[in-house]
Amino acid sequence: MSDGQSRPTNDAQIVVSGLSKQYRNVLAVNNLSFTVEPGRVTGFLGPNGAGKTTTLRMLLNLVTPTAGTATIGGRRYPELAEPLRHVGAVLEASSAHKGRTGINHLRVISAAAGLPRQRADEALALVGLTPAAKRKFKGYSLGMKQRLGIAAAMLGDPRVLILDEPANGLDPEGIRWMRGFLKGLAAEGRTVLVSSHLLSEMQLLADDVVIIAAGQLVRQGPVDQVIGSMAQGVRVRVRTPQAEALTSALAGGPARVQTDEHGALLIAGVDAPTVGRAALGAGVELHELTTERPDLERVFLELTAGKAGIR
Amino acid sequence: MSNLVRSELLKIRTTSTWWWLAIGAFLSIAMAFPLNAWLFNTAVEGNAEDVGLTGDAASAPAQAANLYTSGQYLGLMFVMLIGILMVTNEFFHQTATTTFLATPRRTAVIVSKLIAASLLGFVFWLVTTVIDLGAGAIFLTLNDHGTLLGEWEVQRALLLNLMAYAIWTVLGVGIGTLITNQLGAVITASVLYLIGTQVVSVLFFMLSSWLDSLAVLKWQVLWPAVASQVMITPGENEMLPAWWVGVLVLIGYALVSGIIGVLLTRRRDIS
Ligand SMILES: Nc1ncnc2c1ncn2[C@@H]1O[C@H](COP(=O)(O)OP(=O)(O)O)[C@@H](O)[C@H]1O
Ligand SMILES: [Mg+2]
Repeated sequence: MSDGQSRPTNDAQIVVSGLSKQYRNVLAVNNLSFTVEPGRVTGFLGPNGAGKTTTLRMLLNLVTPTAGTATIGGRRYPELAEPLRHVGAVLEASSAHKGRTGINHLRVISAAAGLPRQRADEALALVGLTPAAKRKFKGYSLGMKQRLGIAAAMLGDPRVLILDEPANGLDPEGIRWMRGFLKGLAAEGRTVLVSSHLLSEMQLLADDVVIIAAGQLVRQGPVDQVIGSMAQGVRVRVRTPQAEALTSALAGGPARVQTDEHGALLIAGVDAPTVGRAALGAGVELHELTTERPDLERVFLELTAGKAGIR
Repeated sequence: MSNLVRSELLKIRTTSTWWWLAIGAFLSIAMAFPLNAWLFNTAVEGNAEDVGLTGDAASAPAQAANLYTSGQYLGLMFVMLIGILMVTNEFFHQTATTTFLATPRRTAVIVSKLIAASLLGFVFWLVTTVIDLGAGAIFLTLNDHGTLLGEWEVQRALLLNLMAYAIWTVLGVGIGTLITNQLGAVITASVLYLIGTQVVSVLFFMLSSWLDSLAVLKWQVLWPAVASQVMITPGENEMLPAWWVGVLVLIGYALVSGIIGVLLTRRRDIS
């Protein structure tokens, strides 16, 4: 086939366009547009109540948009011929019957989707849950429940993975496992869209980010680019009992000096050796001298400042 | 579609709910059968008036029909509850998300629940009927009446009993889509089934004496549980509509609740 190369790529691209959702008295999502590419992990970030869950549910046809469209490979979710072979999703508030065993939960889904019966066993093995296959869901720990959700998403070996706050309730070991698992899926060329409010985790996991606040897009792009785009680059943090003396020693150069809420100096425009040398020259006593690189958390807080909070 | 029905049946088989309801149905047979056997004996010994049976209803075939459908009263309620749980479980256990991800065509999901529900009603009928046939045939033969299974009235009762089981399970699915709150749906439906019928009959009685018309009583058939009763009752008189009126009313309820269920489910946000 002549288009054999390009088709998988197009099939796995997510396009959200002008998407809005009005609940009775909340505009949960407001004219939101972004794209998600295959072969990368895309972090979908926003403060609580920003509209992440609502957006993902509209993408999956669980919630009807008030306006706009969301497509996967150019088609709305209900138009996909075999949705579970195309898209796997792990959502908040999706669960299993408390009295059903893990393996039976997966068999029920496989039956509905017309997948072979042994896919249930394979998916369970993939997430390391085989020993708990015949235990009832109510006896599962939070981490096991989350893994069962991922097994359900992997049943159809989909090209697109959508996860809503998958790190919630996981212990550090579980989070590390999840990170490796999702990175591996992206490396295989799949599309991975993960919502989260855990920013340090996202910085380790995501290649791209889509940041929203109050239902609107704030920024989209590769993580490095989004961080680099912020006005504040690398800063040097200095704690000293002689702040004024150091400030005047640096005056006249490229350094821009600010004071943070704890009285430490945040110096931009020069590197740590320059500051150290200036301090030595002026005979200023230093208690701390560290280089601060901007991280996702700082960028996120600056971008979403004033837009967070309960709506 | 067959995949979906298979999945729905698997959902039922992989939890213990149906098991409890089956035990309930068997207990109701165990309670009803001796009572119906006693009614049979009383009627054929000529004391029918003592237990409020007159005319056709006191005949041996009519009483045999009653005996062979023992346990129907509570059995129908149990299959209705299964139908309700088939829907409300999805919301109570938050599996609706998974279900609609696997099949975004929601109409197909509800229709397959309706099909699975009627299959389940059939199984309930089959098992209760086999028990009733065994016990009833032994009882009747021991009392020198023969099995009476050749009587059309008996055969008709068995078939209509099947219809009742299928329709009430379907009705349960409909109720579940209307009231998705598990506890709310189960309590509402059980109370309406168990107590509602008495309340309805008292109201109609008052209405009938106020209007000075016995014909008004016929309209009780509009109440589903009464319709079900009418459907399996032979004969017809001033107060009692023909059996097929009951059939039509029940099918009407099943259709309306099924259609409303589909429409509601298609529009509902799953969040
Ligand atoms: N079913 C609903 N009915 C009414 N309001 C809702 C519903 N679901 C979400 N919301 C509101 O929409 C906003 C966005 O919620 P959500 O999408 O869950 O945000 P996030 O997942 O980013 O925390 C919130 O203000 C929330 O209260
Ligand atoms: Mg959320």
